[in-house]
Amino acid sequence: MMQIAEQVLAASVVLATPILLAAIGGLVNRQGGIVNIALEAKMLAGAFVAVVVSSATGSWLVAVLAAAIVSAAIGYLFSLTITRARANMIIAGLGLNVLVAGFVGFIMNVGFDASGTLRMPDVELLPKLLPGSVAALPLVGEALADLDPLTVFAWLSVAALPFLLANTRLGLRLRAAGNAAHVARAVGLREKSLQDFGTAFAGFYSGLAGAHLALASIGLFNEGLTAGRGFIALAAFYFARNRPVGTALVCLFFGFLDATQIRLQTVGLPPQLIGTLPYAMVILGLCLTAWNLKRKAQA
Amino acid sequence: MAEATTEPAAGRSSLMPALERMAADILRFALPVLFAFFVGAVVLAFIGENPLDTYALMLSEGFGSSRRLAATLSAATPLLFTAVATAICFRSGVFNVGVDGAFVLGGLAAAAAGTLLPVAFGWSIAPLAMVAAMAVAGVWLYVPGLLLARLDVDEVVSTLMLNFIALGLSGFLVNTLLLSETSGNNTTDTIHAVAELSRLMPPSTLHSGFLIGLACVFAYWVWARWTPAGYEAKLVGLNQRFARAVGIAIPASIVLVMAISGIVAGLGGASHALGQVHKFSDGFSAGYGFTGMAVALLARNSAFGIVFGAVLFGALASAGTTIQLFSDVPLDIVNVIEGTVMIFAVMELGRLSLRRGRAS
Amino acid sequence: MRLGARDVAKSYGAVQANSGVTLEVAPAEIHAIVGENGAGKSTLMRLLQGLEQPDAGSIVFNDRPIRLRDPEQALGLGIGMVHQEFMLAPELTLLENFVLGHEPVTAALPLGRRIDWRAARAAGDALAAKTDLAIDWDRRAGTAPVHIQQYTEILRLLQRGMKVLILDEPTAVLAPQQADDLFTLLRQLRDQGTSIVFISHKLREVIALADRVTIMRRGRVVASSRIDETDIDTMTRHIVGETAAAAPPAAHTVEAGEPVLEVSGLSAPALAGSHPVRAVDLRVRAGEIVGMAGIAGNGQDELIQCVVGLRKPSSGAVGLNGRALAGCDNADFRAAGLGYISPDRAHEGLAKAASIEDNVMAASQRAPAFRRGPFRRLGAVRSEAFRRLAQLKVRFGRLSDPVASLSGGNQQRLVFAREIATEPALLVVAQPTRGVDLGGIAAIHAILREFAARGGAVLLVSEELDELIALSDRIVVMAEGGIVGEIADETATPEAIGRLMLQQDTHGEAANG
Repeated sequence: MMQIAEQVLAASVVLATPILLAAIGGLVNRQGGIVNIALEAKMLAGAFVAVVVSSATGSWLVAVLAAAIVSAAIGYLFSLTITRARANMIIAGLGLNVLVAGFVGFIMNVGFDASGTLRMPDVELLPKLLPGSVAALPLVGEALADLDPLTVFAWLSVAALPFLLANTRLGLRLRAAGNAAHVARAVGLREKSLQDFGTAFAGFYSGLAGAHLALASIGLFNEGLTAGRGFIALAAFYFARNRPVGTALVCLFFGFLDATQIRLQTVGLPPQLIGTLPYAMVILGLCLTAWNLKRKAQA
Repeated sequence: MAEATTEPAAGRSSLMPALERMAADILRFALPVLFAFFVGAVVLAFIGENPLDTYALMLSEGFGSSRRLAATLSAATPLLFTAVATAICFRSGVFNVGVDGAFVLGGLAAAAAGTLLPVAFGWSIAPLAMVAAMAVAGVWLYVPGLLLARLDVDEVVSTLMLNFIALGLSGFLVNTLLLSETSGNNTTDTIHAVAELSRLMPPSTLHSGFLIGLACVFAYWVWARWTPAGYEAKLVGLNQRFARAVGIAIPASIVLVMAISGIVAGLGGASHALGQVHKFSDGFSAGYGFTGMAVALLARNSAFGIVFGAVLFGALASAGTTIQLFSDVPLDIVNVIEGTVMIFAVMELGRLSLRRGRAS
Repeated sequence: MRLGARDVAKSYGAVQANSGVTLEVAPAEIHAIVGENGAGKSTLMRLLQGLEQPDAGSIVFNDRPIRLRDPEQALGLGIGMVHQEFMLAPELTLLENFVLGHEPVTAALPLGRRIDWRAARAAGDALAAKTDLAIDWDRRAGTAPVHIQQYTEILRLLQRGMKVLILDEPTAVLAPQQADDLFTLLRQLRDQGTSIVFISHKLREVIALADRVTIMRRGRVVASSRIDETDIDTMTRHIVGETAAAAPPAAHTVEAGEPVLEVSGLSAPALAGSHPVRAVDLRVRAGEIVGMAGIAGNGQDELIQCVVGLRKPSSGAVGLNGRALAGCDNADFRAAGLGYISPDRAHEGLAKAASIEDNVMAASQRAPAFRRGPFRRLGAVRSEAFRRLAQLKVRFGRLSDPVASLSGGNQQRLVFAREIATEPALLVVAQPTRGVDLGGIAAIHAILREFAARGGAVLLVSEELDELIALSDRIVVMAEGGIVGEIADETATPEAIGRLMLQQDTHGEAANG
């Protein structure tokens, strides 16, 4: 029993990481006033770049950075279509998801002669940070033994983010641009550039998320690798109403659902339905919020 | 009569703006497409393919023969439905991105009816299956419509999330209650042969669902132009404050277009299940809801434009699969073009402001 | 001269918003600018702030003509504006809003430099100390009382070293005591050398606070003097115009008949920056034009919305043609015989992106005459559209042209064509000639007279006193959400109405006393 709990905890943490990374990006983006519906695209691009670069350089660190930078660049260009060319952010986001999926598939096909799945030689996976002996610790042992740099980075980000958003100049200005763009403009800030930064930031973190998906354990790229996790990330920060710590806990819960799906199946809970829980939670959360607002307005 | 008619120049001078408007409409359709093909050409040139050759090949593979044309129209069939379902909402300013989920559930309901209804029902199975599909999908989108109209719940998020729930729900059902006893995982049984929609140009898969799709587009045109509700929905989409001040009930209008959107998407799912694949299995919708959105955006919600756009994307899809066989160009180029079309269709290219813009 | 304008002109389309305007604001001076709505004050402020550039003439700063490209440049020079709608981000705290854009910083952190909140708070407290006002800096701006929001915005500008502060009707949202506090602060700032431009409708406030007053009317400066060289009566005369244009008397062939609109005890919550409606009684009879005067933001908009079914009153009754309709929606009011000319033609009166036909036929789409079964009779709709447009002589190209292609006057005629065509018993008309040229104004007045002559009831809300006097059988005056007086047609003069509108001014009295 204890062993099962240990395994579930370890799997939950690992599975939560990519969702959490993307959600961190998405929530900063949304605090800056842009709902980023293309996290999925940037995760996919990040995963692809990570596998290719890791294979080429044999360095997980270079691979991760390359993934983040490429995705940040995609995010920045995406942001320009919204802030400068006034594209609708939802449609442009959905379009980017299609475009990036097509582009990645195209490159994979033409450049690597692969379709669907890309296996590369000498892909260096993310290292484990702690020595294997920590696995002996009760309950958290296995989770600690599995700890990789990106997971640590994700949780450090969660810990630091509330402070940074509250206490740095950029954090304050970003929130001002998201909350009241006309106010930001009135005090002389470049609200569009701030929003572009936010979207590039979301791209950066989504790239990390993709890198984690590809390099945490499997070491290959697959067109279905992200499997809607960009949207689960969206669900997470929507449900937690943009609060970093709350978002992290929701992500952990989603990771837990993911980790227990197979086990729950044996007690009669179908995995497909459990998979819909994050989305249903968001709708429910939105309804409750809206209902509360309405009640307050009437009172 | 009006002073305008006492002035002889009035009639003639207003002809030019009308022509200009038509030209502008065509340009608005063509520009994103041209941009997308340009992006595609850059990608193709990058891998050493001649873009013109590739596009010429695509053209002949899309429309070159009656068989190819049939394949194109067959690929366009689901898009007719999903584009109408999207356009009817976008036209009213309702940002429904949940057509894909409604399409899936419609297909599931139709496939379920097509397999579960007794064979003895004969020819009536197909229409019954369609009614079931429309009912399920209509209710499916009626709910977020109601949430938007009554509680102001953001329809973008709710419908986006409902897509995934629809996928999960259908995935669950085809692995449990509706699981085929004969053909393994993730699929229902094949529907009764009597419920299949007739093929129009065998051996092509083009089926009478295409005609139903055209009928839907026509009905959409009639509804939009010839009914008070369609007129009201348009005004709601153009200016809610104005609509309210001329006595239009905005919540009712929103709920109505969402329900109709679901019904049309569901019918599309039924057509696809009964006419094309004859069952429901995982991966039923190859993103038809989203491609339909691209079509509706390109068409700026006009019925005529929808037919045009659906055929365009149908040709891309059908040609894409075959050029993959005849050249080194992968099918993914179709996604590149489609994604680019979506992005460019919503960019306001005329007002592109690289400098800091004014408040508007 | 610290800041001013020399012979500036600015027009928007056919509307000359400013012409030959000269303004001189001295250092260490509180300079009031007064005038009716539409007198050109806001345009002048937009020019002084760099939001727009003059067509002719120049803005002057420190005695030198300058060209202001944008508000940022104005801020850089030390010209700051406090808008009626406060420029605070509601979700941020007051302190965050206070420092936004010029944050004191210390160490570098991953997301940019760290803000020195201690220094920020100290600076804010030091400024706030001038005002005897304790500001709870950690409060979210959106939840803070309005006067605190206003202070925060003023303090933010002071912190940035503004030499000129422009305040647009700063007391509109303040209680009397709060207005007094604001005046104390403004006097202190003046004594320290800041120039203050103060826009107001409240003449008692102007007398109490300003050193100089400039009066605008119809885009021009009509008077400018030291405050001790003028008085309220003189100012009122300048504001409303020396003499009313020789308006033709409202000629009526029909005597006022049965009451059509009956409003009693109506109260309603306020829109942003306005006054709630307080227990209004109002009656409009058939064949009668009742004018409603008042400074903008005194509850007229809220009252109208209740009377046309766009806003639910919190209490009271609205009767139209004998039907009790309080709380019903616009469709019910229309069914009972309402026509409505919105004060906001661009956003509510018309759907700018829609065609002329769609605009002139809206609200009739379900009428039996235009339907056959479930379908619209498009032929009938078209010919009715032609008839309606012809009846009011709207000049247009084609029915399918966007309504935005029409001139302002023609757009308003189109709105009348739509609203009168259904032969309503009551026409609620708000600001019917806003943005309409002279010829158009005459035509619209004729339409209204004719409508009343046929026995229609009209409730006419306008900021143009001449218009009210020319058209109305009687005029009620609204101030601070209530009806403060009624003047019969025979005795109506701009001065009399203006006195009621402007001097019903408890804030100013409190400030004086």
